[in-house]
Amino acid sequence: MRFLEPDGSFAPTPEAEPLRAIVEGLDDATLEQLYRDMAVIRAFDQQATMLQRQGQLALWPPSLGQEAAQVGSARAARAQDTIFPSYREHVVAKIRGVDPVSILALMRGTTHGGWDPADPKNGNTRLYTLVLGTQTLHATGFAMGLNFDGRTATGNPEKDEAVVVYYGDGAASEGDVHEAMVFAASYKTPQLFFLQNNQWAISVPVATQASAPLANRSAGYGIPTMRIDGNDVLASYAASRMYLEEARAGGGPRAIEAVTYRMGAHTTSDDPTKYRTRDEEESWARRDPIARMRAFLENRGASEAFFADVDAEGEALAADARERVVNLPNPDPSSMFANVYSEPHALMDQQAAWLAEYEASFEGDAK
Amino acid sequence: MQTFNLPDVGEGLTEAELVEWRVKPGDTIKVNDTIADIETAKSVVELPSPFAGVVRELLVAEGDTVDVGAPILTVEAEGAEDPSSASEGGATPEAPADTSDTSVLVGYGNGGEAKTRRKPKTHEKVLTSSIGVITKPPVRKLARDLGVNLLEVSGTGPAGEVTRDDVVRHADQASVFRNLSTPAWPTERERTVPARPANVDPRYDAVPVKGVRKATANAMVGSAYTAPHVSVWTDVDATRTMEFVARLKKQPQFADIKISPLLVYARAVLWAVQRTPEINSTWIETDSGAEIQVRNYVNLGIAAATPRGLLVPNIKDAQDLSIRELASALQDLTFTARDGKTQPADLAGGTITITNIGVFGMDAGTPILNPGEAGIVAMGAIRQKPWVVDGEVRPAWVTTVSGSFDHRIVDGDKISRFVADVAAVLEEPALLLD
Amino acid sequence: MTLETMPFVRAMNAGLRRAMEEDGRVLLMGEDIGKLGGVFRVTEHLQRDFGEDRVLDTPLAESGIVGTAIGLAMAGFRPVIEIQFDGFVFPAFDQITTQLAKLTNRHEGLLQMPVVIRIPYGGHIGAVEHHQESPEAYFTHTSGLRVVSPSTPNDAYWMIQDAIASNDPVIFMEPKSRYWQKGEVDTERRGAPLHASRVVRKGTDVTLVGHGAMVSVLLQAAAIAEGEGRSCEVIDIRSLSPIDYDPIVESVRQTGRMVWAQEAPGNTSIGGEIAATVSERAFYSLEAPIMRVTGFDTPFPPAKLEGTYLPDADRVLEAVDRAFAY
Repeated sequence: MRFLEPDGSFAPTPEAEPLRAIVEGLDDATLEQLYRDMAVIRAFDQQATMLQRQGQLALWPPSLGQEAAQVGSARAARAQDTIFPSYREHVVAKIRGVDPVSILALMRGTTHGGWDPADPKNGNTRLYTLVLGTQTLHATGFAMGLNFDGRTATGNPEKDEAVVVYYGDGAASEGDVHEAMVFAASYKTPQLFFLQNNQWAISVPVATQASAPLANRSAGYGIPTMRIDGNDVLASYAASRMYLEEARAGGGPRAIEAVTYRMGAHTTSDDPTKYRTRDEEESWARRDPIARMRAFLENRGASEAFFADVDAEGEALAADARERVVNLPNPDPSSMFANVYSEPHALMDQQAAWLAEYEASFEGDAK
Repeated sequence: MQTFNLPDVGEGLTEAELVEWRVKPGDTIKVNDTIADIETAKSVVELPSPFAGVVRELLVAEGDTVDVGAPILTVEAEGAEDPSSASEGGATPEAPADTSDTSVLVGYGNGGEAKTRRKPKTHEKVLTSSIGVITKPPVRKLARDLGVNLLEVSGTGPAGEVTRDDVVRHADQASVFRNLSTPAWPTERERTVPARPANVDPRYDAVPVKGVRKATANAMVGSAYTAPHVSVWTDVDATRTMEFVARLKKQPQFADIKISPLLVYARAVLWAVQRTPEINSTWIETDSGAEIQVRNYVNLGIAAATPRGLLVPNIKDAQDLSIRELASALQDLTFTARDGKTQPADLAGGTITITNIGVFGMDAGTPILNPGEAGIVAMGAIRQKPWVVDGEVRPAWVTTVSGSFDHRIVDGDKISRFVADVAAVLEEPALLLD
Repeated sequence: MTLETMPFVRAMNAGLRRAMEEDGRVLLMGEDIGKLGGVFRVTEHLQRDFGEDRVLDTPLAESGIVGTAIGLAMAGFRPVIEIQFDGFVFPAFDQITTQLAKLTNRHEGLLQMPVVIRIPYGGHIGAVEHHQESPEAYFTHTSGLRVVSPSTPNDAYWMIQDAIASNDPVIFMEPKSRYWQKGEVDTERRGAPLHASRVVRKGTDVTLVGHGAMVSVLLQAAAIAEGEGRSCEVIDIRSLSPIDYDPIVESVRQTGRMVWAQEAPGNTSIGGEIAATVSERAFYSLEAPIMRVTGFDTPFPPAKLEGTYLPDADRVLEAVDRAFAY
């Protein structure tokens, strides 16, 4: 399902026609915001890769190439919705209100978390999950809770809550994902399964994970599914919008397979030259989501000043990230024991005390 | 000037080869400009510069293998040197090149190099004396506390192991009172016997009575047949004394002084004298009749077996000495006596005496008073014996406090109280705090 | 004698290669092990040289990998699985513990499970959550499994071959912080038996014991201690289940003191088992209780704290000092 051709021309596919009204209802400001979201995060993402190469981050999983899939779905969600990301949804987190530098803190090794999902300013964004697919079960369970509490399907879309869970083509092979869908269908959860099929799970092509379109799986579980061009931000927006409204209205779970491409490496530890070709990368570069949207906006008369302003915002975000990340404080050793349990625990107290005494036994040498 | 150290770009890498430099000294670079291509075990990676400025020096050569963490490049901060660099770029704000944490983020395994924050210490050589000895940890500790070398103990346990009893049995009095203040029985006796003349009967050796032997004999006769001697004794649990001695030995202030139960005994006697001063008296015959002089100072005599014979040097004004001073005085007295250098002044003026017969393995005795004194306390062996505690028979360090006293001067009640007081201190050294 | 100096990963690679050459039934399975050669390059070029039928890039599903490997073993293959990181083994935990460990017993000995599961484990690479754990105790606690951990390239080269040759399931723990450390490999003379402990440094005053990456930490501590006048014996247990106790007990009988070190959290871990057993067997020789230096009983912390969390030479020496306070 697609609205925008890679060259930016507006050419809805037959599957897109039913959703046309959604897209045509978007004003210029919103369309420009979609572009801005994508371009700015790309600048941030590239800076993060640089920072890793400079020893400031342990790791960085780039979202390069997946901006449209993520921005469209994030903007389609409502403020009251809850987001379950995997570990590559940087722009989703940002749009929801999470400070992008928090993600850097995670990748720098100063924390395993980075933000509080319960803090309203974070827009109900749950933490990144590094064990693949586990978040799909959590999302399903959370959505089940919405049902039990009547926080959804009251007929008021301004208040009815829904859940969006992000995962990838590789994670789609994990048993947890299938169990999540079984439960979701069974309990008719207000949930959108958003699968970014970026073609690669590190070095393993999606063909190894799936011999039939991944969209068939959720459909096979009885979950209405749409397969979209993930590099078309309008398609991503429209499909997510439609499905989320259906889900929050009590229609049960929905699924989207966003066909996109991981233009960067899996993480900065990876070397794609070992398993994919330049040709393939270039062919996808010609379908770049940001270039596509830019062309679309230019055709509609967006000004040079607008694009320059977006570039400047991207550079500013990148510079800000650089400055703040090198100054991120290191965690205190006592923090290791502080939050292992929610209730007091003698062994934690004992070990924390031991460590404090041990560290104090060295004179004047900070580690 | 900023230095860029090679980071670990891939989760645990330890080194990389610098394939190609993409800058040279003098180049002006911006943050994130590619400065080099490196090849790791995993891949070829472009390294971006964390700094803006002018390249100063390339610290490694193309083709070099560089350790993670090693410096590879230095950059002079922009504006510090070349004024023309200000015309580059334009309005792009450079982030301050913060070097607060340019150290490599990740660890790089445990390389062979020993890193430590520890202050260097020196340790004494481990005593290997107990290697190979089969015994239980508590028994090892006992042996250590008693100063017993486990290698010298034969084990009687079922597995051939050294038992607690074995250690205790082996701890003979010379070991128990390792820091003995009276000299050990001389190993080599000076023979005072001259060569036997040919015409003397071979069935006996004639030893002429001379010198110290003669003086001692005279003194004993004099004392025995002048003062009516009465002896009393009592058994006491001296475990706390043993513990007290062990603890004192560990104190740094006493590190250089011999500590033994005799020290506690001496203090006990001094304490008991305070409570029954009549024991510290002498019987004087004057023109107007007999007189008992109760002295208010204690010159504490310690009977010592010396190369010359039995001598009783005394510590003057022992009542004024602190524990440490007393210990020191006992030590001096012992060494002097052992060296045969005891002076007449040391021997004169004693007021009460302690004789250590425990060192010879005796429990109690009826010693003869040092002439002119009213009491002589015999310090017996301290050994493990059954003792009743709370209705149960348990092993304890038991000793007998015995002594002889001049019945002209003191009666049974005072004698008994005195002996009981000495015993009380042995049972509870804390009484000395009184 | 052919001695080559190479990093641990190359030794692993060479050992796998040789095992595959010698037995055509050996199969490698795992995520990214084929084209990419593994995220640590342990299986580099093996798919190129042996083909996609023998080196499988599997779908991303650990339970699926172990479960299908079990089936392959039933069909007469000898699968060697790679789990990408220690923290990701848990989806497969069910297949490993309820099936792989028990099938031989369930069949009353009539079925063998010659499956090797290779797991990079341990910290010191500054990685994110789930990438630096030490879960070996879950497996040593499960009967039916053998668990080993080489600490040197030479051991890596020979122990992987021995593990593959074993007809029992072997959990092969690879200390990932050692992957790039170089060492000499003797490709002709077979190394020590798979389940044998080895004294790697002689000493007289105290016995230091550990496995995997901890061995080099113990050696560091021993070097420092020597400068301080203490002589340490260091033992690499190499096999975590079963444990070869004889060399350890013999050493403790001489030294009277032992310090065990592990990265894994201490509560109910291998260290406790070893301390109890050695206490029992060397009781009469003990001058002090057996000391254990372990990770704290918390989740493995963010990378910035790994240096505080993981036992290093200082922590080992602190325990040695404590052992001598008795």
